[in-house]
Amino acid sequence: MKKFSQFLVLGIFVVGLFSSCAKQPTQAIDAAKAAIEAATKEGASVYAADELKKLNDDLQAAMDEVNTQGKKFFKKFGTAKEMLVKVQTDADALKATIPAKIEAAKNAALQAQTEARTALDEATALLDKAPMGKGTKADIMAMKADLAGLETSFAEIQTAIDGADYFGASAKAATIKEKATVVSDQVKAAIEKVTGKR
Amino acid sequence: MKTALLAFALSFCVFCASSCQSPPVPQEVEKVKSQENDLWRAGAPLYAADDYSSYLESLRLAREKLIKQNARLRWFRDYKEIRADYIVLLAQGDSLLARVQSEKRSQSRDFSQRLGRLEDSMGKIRALTQLMNEHAPVRESLARAEVVTREVQILLKNEKYTELAPKLDMVDRHIRQAEEALFSILARYADDTQVADWRKQAEDTIAESRRRGTTAVLVNKLARTLTLLKKGREVAVYEIGLGKYGLSDKLYAGDEATPEGRYRIVKKNSQSRYYKALLIDYPNDSDKRRFALAKKRGLLSPGAAIGGLIEIHGGGKDSLTNGCVGVENSVMDRLFPEVAVGTVVTIIGSLESAAKLLSDLRNPGS
Repeated sequence: MKKFSQFLVLGIFVVGLFSSCAKQPTQAIDAAKAAIEAATKEGASVYAADELKKLNDDLQAAMDEVNTQGKKFFKKFGTAKEMLVKVQTDADALKATIPAKIEAAKNAALQAQTEARTALDEATALLDKAPMGKGTKADIMAMKADLAGLETSFAEIQTAIDGADYFGASAKAATIKEKATVVSDQVKAAIEKVTGKR
Repeated sequence: MKTALLAFALSFCVFCASSCQSPPVPQEVEKVKSQENDLWRAGAPLYAADDYSSYLESLRLAREKLIKQNARLRWFRDYKEIRADYIVLLAQGDSLLARVQSEKRSQSRDFSQRLGRLEDSMGKIRALTQLMNEHAPVRESLARAEVVTREVQILLKNEKYTELAPKLDMVDRHIRQAEEALFSILARYADDTQVADWRKQAEDTIAESRRRGTTAVLVNKLARTLTLLKKGREVAVYEIGLGKYGLSDKLYAGDEATPEGRYRIVKKNSQSRYYKALLIDYPNDSDKRRFALAKKRGLLSPGAAIGGLIEIHGGGKDSLTNGCVGVENSVMDRLFPEVAVGTVVTIIGSLESAAKLLSDLRNPGS
């Protein structure tokens, strides 16, 4: 009887050891969530939306594993913990790439802005030297007005850059460049009309 | 015997543990995972937010059941119900995806139509500016509208419909600015009393030409035409060009406007700077009265002069004059011998009200 009692106590101890000592990896969960939050704050939702979505999916899978194990009698959170650590590592890695992506977008916007400025300056210079005589005066006045409108729009590129809307700034700059080039081509055509060159 | 029984029980347990495999997780689970990604990529959170939330809630419930099942000892796992739930979820997702795509198509159509209407307005305004030689600030606003229009086209192409509405509003604002500037110029041309007065002047000129059997010239500024009349009959209609503010009635020197009223040719110049020219007697008495009144009211600077030297001349109709009426040299060749000093030249704004023109601008496509 004494021996049986000893076995019973030992059994309860072993069962208790397996079922209660494996606690939920709350620290790893918090760390993974915080890492994703940090990546999002850095700008991942704008500059790496697909990667961020995958991270959230991976976190969900890890949480599913945590919940599955949480419901088991013999809990093993090893796999869940590994998944959570990977999520955290991936989130940290993603966060680290965001500044470079932002920088690249900013540089692209600045480059587009410079190209738009060059196109506008070229069109302005061409207009200034265009012969504004009979036959071209009306066209040139119209193009000057068009260019004035493009100049006003050009200022909006800087506003977009200042507001960190680099994709918007790039799109606007590309459009202004395109329109200014059209004006340049029209001025050249007007000059040819006067000089008779073809 | 007791040992043998224990060994048999142990062997049975080991056999069960090794041979009884748990049923596989239904493949629908993975399919739903992939479907949820497709929905996210298609923009379900943006284009069908409520339905997507409901789908995610169903997914959460199904996932909880799956977790519960996975937590069981593998011999007791049963995925039948789970599979059924996920099949329903897949159907829900397919239907949601179809709704998202339909919503995107609908938005694309709506935005494209709105853009089309705005582009139509822009085209009309642009055509009017070319016709009227009116540029700033109309063309400035148009150029700004065109920049944003191009951005809208790119967003449409990339299916970024959520960013479109504010951009289209911006295009609309720029177009309205252009319209307002245009309307301020054309307002006189939509005034029925003013148009009736111009019509009467034209009719009087035709009647006088008929009654006296004389030649007369009728210039219509909005229509950009010069009509040669003989004995009250139209014998030729030529296209003309005006100045930057040609649609305005001339008031003072340097306003680049073209005068309106009844004038006479006072000099024929066959050696003009602009090929050949017919000088008219601007300012007439009516012009002088109007100028004096404007000066008295302080509408003009004290140094302002009434101006003069208004001609019908060659040099081309596509040029910008400083208030004169420009025609092609070939037209001047035909007109010059047909008119004499003393020929009546009536310059009017328009025979037709521009009200419809303005209304068409306000309601493109109507």
